[in-house]
Amino acid sequence: MRNTWLIIKREYLERVRTRSFLVLTVLLPAIMTVLMALPAKLMKMGEKPQHVVVVASTAQFGETVRQQLLSPLANVNEDDEEGSTNDSAKKKPQNQYIIDVDPNPSDAERATLQDKLSRRKIDGFFWLTDDAMASGEVSWYSREITYFSERSWLRETLNRMALQQRLLSNGFSAAQTDQLLKPIKVQSVRIEHGREAKGSGTARLLEIVVMVMLIYMAVLLYGISVMRSVLEEKNSRIMEVLLSSASSTELMAGKILGVGAVGLTQIMVWIVMAGVFALPALAAQPNLGELQVSPLVFAAFAVFFLLGYLLYSTMYATIGAITTTEQEGQQLQFLVVIPLVLSVFMLMPVIRTPDSPVAVWTSMIPFFAPIVMYARMVVQTPPLWQIALSLVLLIGTIAGLVVLGARIYRIGVLIYGKRPTLPEVLKWLRYAKA
Amino acid sequence: MASIQEPIAHSPGTRSRNGATVELTSISKSYGDFVAVDQLSLSIQPGGIYGLLGPNGAGKTSTLRMIIGIIVPDSGQISVFGEPLNHTHKDSFGYLPEERGLYRKMKVSEHLVLLGQLKGLSHAEATERVRNWCERFELTAWTGKKVEELSKGMQQKVQFIGAILHDPRLIIMDEPFSGLDPANAMVLKDVVLELAKGGKTILLSTHRMDQVERLCQSICLVNHGRAILEGDLSQIKARYGRSNVQVKYDGDARFLEERRLVQSFNDYGNYVEVRLVPGADAQELLHLASAHARLSKFEVMEPSLEEIFIDVVGKPNA
Repeated sequence: MRNTWLIIKREYLERVRTRSFLVLTVLLPAIMTVLMALPAKLMKMGEKPQHVVVVASTAQFGETVRQQLLSPLANVNEDDEEGSTNDSAKKKPQNQYIIDVDPNPSDAERATLQDKLSRRKIDGFFWLTDDAMASGEVSWYSREITYFSERSWLRETLNRMALQQRLLSNGFSAAQTDQLLKPIKVQSVRIEHGREAKGSGTARLLEIVVMVMLIYMAVLLYGISVMRSVLEEKNSRIMEVLLSSASSTELMAGKILGVGAVGLTQIMVWIVMAGVFALPALAAQPNLGELQVSPLVFAAFAVFFLLGYLLYSTMYATIGAITTTEQEGQQLQFLVVIPLVLSVFMLMPVIRTPDSPVAVWTSMIPFFAPIVMYARMVVQTPPLWQIALSLVLLIGTIAGLVVLGARIYRIGVLIYGKRPTLPEVLKWLRYAKA
Repeated sequence: MASIQEPIAHSPGTRSRNGATVELTSISKSYGDFVAVDQLSLSIQPGGIYGLLGPNGAGKTSTLRMIIGIIVPDSGQISVFGEPLNHTHKDSFGYLPEERGLYRKMKVSEHLVLLGQLKGLSHAEATERVRNWCERFELTAWTGKKVEELSKGMQQKVQFIGAILHDPRLIIMDEPFSGLDPANAMVLKDVVLELAKGGKTILLSTHRMDQVERLCQSICLVNHGRAILEGDLSQIKARYGRSNVQVKYDGDARFLEERRLVQSFNDYGNYVEVRLVPGADAQELLHLASAHARLSKFEVMEPSLEEIFIDVVGKPNA
């Protein structure tokens, strides 16, 4: 134990003290921020308020249309949780449109407006005369092809206007028309264990995606550095000295945990940084309120992330023990990447039917469990025995891999030269019986 | 010692088996079809320097690794300090492997302290000892430097300090002098001798016969994984007798072909070393030689270890 601790400490301190660690820790979030913020910023810069003219028979009607178009109410019925219309919803804030009312529906005026349009004085105009409204066919003039989302928003708004107009002319009061035109909003409710569960589908999906991304990132960033560190140790020939003081299992465990701790430190720093910088922006998101993570899911996240990380780094360490150069190691990387990719492929069916036999059994297989079992827990809490069995199998596999890897490590590090074949590796396992 | 076929290899009566620091009983180790160590037995008495000697690939390093417990023999017993080898013995060993290796990016002092700690020293104790040893090896100015900034010779001294820092009872060194310049080799040799005088047991493996001849009290000569000669060096030499003659001559070399007297000879250029047929009289060779050639030197002497080795196994490959 003491030896393992010493190795962990060395691996950790040696890594954390390097300049590259500092640079990566600070710079990566900065680069990410810039990369993510830049396109949005660039788009914003190209945007200027659209100048739109509403041509109506009366100034009063024109003004009503203007109000409706500028009113946030206009997009109420489009704002469902699927997020598909979020883009158009965002495009419609008042400040993006300057709307003038023109109560002069004459052919001459239309020609003037068309001329203004082509000279870019205005960006578009509506032809909303009473006749046009009555016939149900109004016109929208613009230079560019109108976006579908924009058109549907216009149609919705104008439809409501027309309906309102017709209802009013048929003797309904203003209050009645409002009542009749109240939009329908669909709210989805998930039932779990006979009770309403919190969290929308989007939020659930987000929880799973965050997990998958974190595991991916951690494994690819730090798993490889475990492998690299094993290879480096082999090539610097220090293993023999270390093996005369500590057992290969102690060394292996120390290395995996030490490098692992470095990775966790870095991720923690990033999370804190993200929290400080991104939280205000996130808080403005409408869906955040639904992102309430239950303590169970949070615990599952922590446990499965750590175990998954350990499992895959142990696999990387073993690959490092078998190979002699980084290139060779990278050729064997598929051993780690394939289970990861497969787990992601299995996500959709698992999310759809989290208690199907396929989902249950894949969540038992240790190489998939970190992602699949976690996804099941997020979607619908599986029976306790399944969670327990999955965890036991996962921990057992990690322990087994550490011992197995340590054996290969011990022999592998003392044999330099060509990469061993599988039969040779199996033979090593027999040599290293103690 | 059943595994040793040469009866002359025995030097019975000189060792008391029970007190041996290291006792190998017919250990074997093979890697696939390759037999690295074959039924090797040897016994290392406490104190003094023991030489494990043999050409490259003779199985020396495998033997050392088995004593330390890095690899496990396929068969045979290993006992150290009178008990079967187990992992608790690790802290009593100091090991300088042939393949030197240090963490290149670590500072010298931190590295040495880590090695000491891995052997069970406290941080404070290790720090103190590192300071003292670095002073002794004139490394004090370098303790704050990274290992990679040191010359190879200096790294080797660092590695050596790492092996002895925890004051081990048994120090095992694989080719300790290779790669050192004469001055540093001298410093190292002095420390090794000092440790031996202080009661430590030192097991030294090398293919350099001359080093063994100068330093070791006892030896084990291995070839192809087998022990060929084992025991007290002076006794082994005595057994071979003064049957060697060094001759420096001008002229006819026919006397060297005298099969009745000369078993073999080795021409070194400046002189020829002749090994006599057992029982042959050196005087007779002197007469024969002086009759044909002008002699400037004719000396009867002890055989060198190298000759003994060649005599037992034929020419070494290294």
